[in-house]
Amino acid sequence: MQNFVVSLKNVSFSYDDTRMILKNISINIPKGKRIAIMGGSGSGKTTLLRLITGQCQPQTGTVHVFNQNLSRLPNRKILNLRKRIGVLFQFGALFTDMSVYENVAFSIKEHTNLPESIIQKIVAMKLKAVGLFGTQDMATNELSGGMARRVALARATALDPELMLYDEPFTGLDPISLNVISMLIKKLNDALEQTSIIITHDFATTLKIVDYVYVMANGEIIAFGTPLAVLNSQEPAVKQFVKGEVTGPFNYEFQTKMSYNAYLGIDHNE
Amino acid sequence: MNEKIINFTRQLGHPFAEFILTLGSIIRLLIDIILNLPFALKNIFLIIKGIHFCGVKSIVIIAVSGWFVGMVLGLQGYNTLNRFGSISVLGSVVALTLLRELGPVLTAILFAARAGSGITAELGLMKATEQLDAMSVMAVNPIRRLIVPKFIAGIISVPLLTALFIVAGILGGYFVGVIILHLDSGTFWSQMRDSVNLHDDVYNGLFKSFIFGISVTLISVYQGFMAKPTAEGVSVATTKTVVVSALTVLALDYVLTALMF
Repeated sequence: MQNFVVSLKNVSFSYDDTRMILKNISINIPKGKRIAIMGGSGSGKTTLLRLITGQCQPQTGTVHVFNQNLSRLPNRKILNLRKRIGVLFQFGALFTDMSVYENVAFSIKEHTNLPESIIQKIVAMKLKAVGLFGTQDMATNELSGGMARRVALARATALDPELMLYDEPFTGLDPISLNVISMLIKKLNDALEQTSIIITHDFATTLKIVDYVYVMANGEIIAFGTPLAVLNSQEPAVKQFVKGEVTGPFNYEFQTKMSYNAYLGIDHNE
Repeated sequence: MNEKIINFTRQLGHPFAEFILTLGSIIRLLIDIILNLPFALKNIFLIIKGIHFCGVKSIVIIAVSGWFVGMVLGLQGYNTLNRFGSISVLGSVVALTLLRELGPVLTAILFAARAGSGITAELGLMKATEQLDAMSVMAVNPIRRLIVPKFIAGIISVPLLTALFIVAGILGGYFVGVIILHLDSGTFWSQMRDSVNLHDDVYNGLFKSFIFGISVTLISVYQGFMAKPTAEGVSVATTKTVVVSALTVLALDYVLTALMF
């Protein structure tokens, strides 16, 4: 466990005890690597991210982050641990009552006693790194979707976190913004020597920038390996996901105990 | 039959259980707020910003409402007192009604409608757009950063707004009684001065408004914090803030009045 920044062992999780979101998941993420956790909508990817940030606790199993067992840590220590983690949310989650500058400076002001003049320089550097220097005074509602995502990236990296979590960073972006974000993730990861976990279902973009891929379905890990190995996997479920096929082991129809024919009153015996 | 009885009993007990759960959550939030008070006091700017939002921006609505309520009191009081030949005590009637009851109660209800609903909507939308989650994963406690400053701003603003409402109301009463209906100005003020007691009337009224400020602001932040993260959830939470605040203020007013006067 020593070399792993994040280590999940036999983790199971459910929100309401009726449906298991994660089933016996084990993942080890080494320092300095970029890992993609992929899978269709509702496969449990975002829940996994919430477990890593300590926002949820697993019903069974353990979650270790920086070699600390999150389920045994008091809230105060979990908050301290989060200072070493950066999170990019799906749609940025920028604070709408603050300017771009205030958003990026937020965690610096909250967690350091740096003078304003230094904070201004750090914010300028972070915005330059994502190509948005000069937007400091803009309101968040003046930004496009791609720009908002980049400001959120600058905010998430403001304290140079050792671990970066990206929750669906490519969703809803045009092709140029999408490539810009993926390039920035790789560039920042290399420059800051971070460990990165990218939660996504965008196969094509992600495979270019990650070292390892975990594929999830129905709350389970169904494949793990290098991007090439996953791409060439003969496992039917992985093949279906990679090629985006409609038919296969994963049924797009909602699984219910109700009988459709019985619901409509159709009797096949007649 | 047994199942029907069980279901009926469940249905009876469910609202009560819900009420107890909600009350428990509100008390937990209040304890959290109290524990975080010293940390929030370090960031005075956020409290000032909160006072600006819920206090300063409510000044006009409070002053205008107070003025009209005072005018109505002046008019109704004049007509009623005139029947008994006691129009000289109009100043006392207007002042005591405003200081003891209408000032604190109406200000708290107006505050809930104007600022409380705003606080709920802001927090609810922040929740719906993952801003609260973002704050939390940035190792910033949303209760300390968001809730406590708004809470302090609320309990500072409500007594001040109540004082403004009462002053505007008395001036409204004076306008109708003295300027329009030609009651003697000296009688109006001297009767008021003689009958109003600083401790029993002024302090008690302001104490009431302080309690109402705590209640309304607590309900507002609770509803926003607990809102379902959807458009409908925010809308429901905002409505609940106004309705629950109004009922709580009226119920508390009876209890406080019974204890004080």
